[in-house]
Amino acid sequence: MARVKLDDVSKSYEDVVAVKNMNLDLQDGEFITLVGPSGCGKSTTLETVAGLTKPTSGTIHIGDREVTNLPPKDRGIAMVFQNIALFPHMDVYDNISFGLRLRDFPKEEIDERVENAADIVELGGMLDRMPDELSGGQRQRVAIARSIVRNPDVFLMDEPLANLDAKLRVNMRTELQRLHKQLETTIIYVTHNQAEAMTMSDRIAVINGGELQQIAPPLTCYNEPANRFVAGFIGSPSMNFVPATVGDGELQANGYSLSYDTAAVEELTSREEVEIGVRPEDIYLVQNESEADKPSAPVEVVTDVLEPMGDEIFVYLKPIGSGEEDGMGSVEEREGLLMSVDPATDITEDQTVEIVFDRARIHLFDRGTGDAITHGVIEGAKMDTGSSEGEAQADD
Amino acid sequence: MSIDAQDHDDAETLDDQDEESKNRVQAWAADWIRNPQKAYTVMGVFLGGVLLTTTLFPLYWLFAVAMAPPGQTNIPLIPTRIDLYAFVDIFQQVPFARFMFNSLFYATTVTVVVILVASLAGYAFGRLDFRGKLPLLFSLLVLSWFPPATLFLPLFRAFNQQVKMLGLFTLPTEIYGTPGAVIAPLSAFTMPLAVFILMTFYAQIPDGLEDAARVEGSSRIGALFRVIMPLSAPGVATAGILTFITVYTEFFFSFLMTGDKASEWAPIVNGVLAFQSRYTVRYDLQAAASLVAIVPVAILVVLAQDKIVSGLTQGALKE
Repeated sequence: MARVKLDDVSKSYEDVVAVKNMNLDLQDGEFITLVGPSGCGKSTTLETVAGLTKPTSGTIHIGDREVTNLPPKDRGIAMVFQNIALFPHMDVYDNISFGLRLRDFPKEEIDERVENAADIVELGGMLDRMPDELSGGQRQRVAIARSIVRNPDVFLMDEPLANLDAKLRVNMRTELQRLHKQLETTIIYVTHNQAEAMTMSDRIAVINGGELQQIAPPLTCYNEPANRFVAGFIGSPSMNFVPATVGDGELQANGYSLSYDTAAVEELTSREEVEIGVRPEDIYLVQNESEADKPSAPVEVVTDVLEPMGDEIFVYLKPIGSGEEDGMGSVEEREGLLMSVDPATDITEDQTVEIVFDRARIHLFDRGTGDAITHGVIEGAKMDTGSSEGEAQADD
Repeated sequence: MSIDAQDHDDAETLDDQDEESKNRVQAWAADWIRNPQKAYTVMGVFLGGVLLTTTLFPLYWLFAVAMAPPGQTNIPLIPTRIDLYAFVDIFQQVPFARFMFNSLFYATTVTVVVILVASLAGYAFGRLDFRGKLPLLFSLLVLSWFPPATLFLPLFRAFNQQVKMLGLFTLPTEIYGTPGAVIAPLSAFTMPLAVFILMTFYAQIPDGLEDAARVEGSSRIGALFRVIMPLSAPGVATAGILTFITVYTEFFFSFLMTGDKASEWAPIVNGVLAFQSRYTVRYDLQAAASLVAIVPVAILVVLAQDKIVSGLTQGALKE
C-alpha cells in the first residue's frame, strides 16, 4: 500500500507526444481509473508507473521512494495486462509463484501464499492446469492471483477486462471491486470503457491527447465536467452539444432559445459563442415538466428515431423545419438532440412535441477552448469545478 | 473408322471402349485416371525409393567396405561375411574415441556459445528498436557471405601471433593448435544464421509476456532466458542443431587449425585419416570409422526431428 505521485511526467516518441505534463497524486488505497479514448496516452502513463517505459521528463514516486529510473522489478508493483500474459509454458502454480521464486522465497511460504491467492480468486484445485486448459475468465483470475501473491504496494491494471465477453466482464468488475475492498491496495486501472471507470473507481482521471482533462470522483466528472471533452466522454449515451450565441439574458441556438439568469452567470455577457451541453436525461417532455428542477421555456421539436431500450426510450429530436432549410445530415449533426424518456411514454416517430430543458443541469462550454463556463444557468449555479483550466480562459 | 481399319488386329482397341478389349497399359491408365490417388501412391513410392537409394546406398557401401577383409579392394555388393571386428578395431588402433570427443567438444562448445550470443543478438534485433538496427543486421548478413576459406590465412597468422588482431593488438598467447583456434572462427561463421533464426522467433513472442516477466521480478535478460527462450524452443533447437551439425562436419578449419594427433585436439577427420599410413591404407577401418562418426549426428537428428520440422515451418506462436 502506498501513495503514488506523478510530477510533470511527459513521454514523447520521435515525433509524437504520448503524455504531456501528467500530474497525478494518488492516496494510499485509492482505486483510480485512467480513462480516455484509444491512443490518448493512458496506457503509456501506466507503463511509466510500471517502469516498462521511461518518461522523457518528470518524476514518479511510489510511497516515499522516487522510482523514476528503477526497473519494474524494484518498484513494488504488480500488473495485470490486457492480453492476460500468462506464461504459456508454465502451469497455474508456476505462473502464480513466478515472482516469488525469482525472489528466492522459501518453498513453504511460496506454497502457502500461492494457495492463499488462489483461494481469493477462487482457483483452488486448478494449480496444475496449463493456461491453455483454462477459460478466459479463469486465466484472468490466474493473472490476478499472480499479481496479488507478492503483496505489492500498487496494482496496475491495463484494460484487464477488455478481452472478456460482456457477461464475464461485468462479473469480473464486481470481483475486482470486492478484491479492492479486501486488499485495500492502491489500484491504478486503465480502461477506455467509461462504464467501467464510473462503476469501480474512487476517482477518475480523464485523459485526452496525452493531457489530463479532469481528475475527480465519478459523479463529479459526470455532473460537473471540467470541459467539453469530459462532458462528452463520460456518460452513455453522450451529452448533447448545441452551439449557441449569447444574447441579452438569452442563449440563442438555431431553433432553440434558452433564457438564463444574468446574475448567476455574469461572465457570460462577455462571451459571444458558447456551446450548450445537456444530458439526454435532463430533457423533458413538456407534460413532465414538473420532474425538471428548473424547467426552461418549452421548445417545439420533431421526433426523429426512437430507440426503445426497455428501461427507457432514446428519442432523437430535430428542430422544426430544419430539413427544408438545410441539408438533413448536417443539421442533424449540429442540432439534433437525444432525449431519454420513460418507456411508458406515448411517443411516436415524426411527431411534433414540446420539450423543456432542466436549467439547473445545463452546462455551458467555451466554444474556443472547450472549457466549462458553468454548470446550470440559474442563480446560484456552480461555477467551474476548481480545475485550473477553467479559471484561466477569460480571453475572447 | 473405316471398314478397312476394322480388319486390323489393333483397330478395335482405338475405338472400342469395352473393358475386356483394352490392353493392360490402357487398363492401368484408365484405372489411374479414375483413381488419381493410386497414381500418386505409385509415384510417391518410386520417388521415395530413388531418394532413399541415393541417400542410403553410400552408407550401405561404407558398411560393405567395412566388412571386407583388410587390403581387399574388390568389394562385393553383398558382403561375403559379416565381421564387425572393424568397429572394435578402430578404437584400438588409434584413439578414435578421443578424435570423436574432440569433434563433439567443438560442436557442443560452439553451439553453446552461438546460442548464448545469438540469443542476445536475436533479442536485440527482434525486440528492441535502436538506431542503426537495419544496417547492422545487413552487415551481419554480408559477413555471412564471405567464404570462410578467405579468412583462413589472416586468422592462421593472427593465431600464431604473427600479426596484430585487427591491426590493434597481438594475441596474448598462441592459440593455434588449441580448441580456441577452431571454436572462435567457427562460432563466428555459424553466428549469422543462428541470429536470424532466433531473431525471427524472439520477435514473435508477445510484448505482454516479457512485460509480465519484468514486472514480476526479472530483468530483461532474465525474461529472455526464463520466458522468451523456452517459448521459442523450436527455434532454439533448430538454430542449435544446425550449428552443431555444421561444426561437427566442418573440415577446413578444424583440420588446419589443429595438429594431427588426437591429443593435439585434432577433429574426427584426422581420426579417419589416421588409418592411412605411408604404405598402407586400411579402407575397412576408414569405412567403419566414418560410419561411427555419423552416429552422434544421426541420434541428434532422430531425437530432435520434431523440433526441427516445427522450427522450420512454424510461423506464429500463439499466445
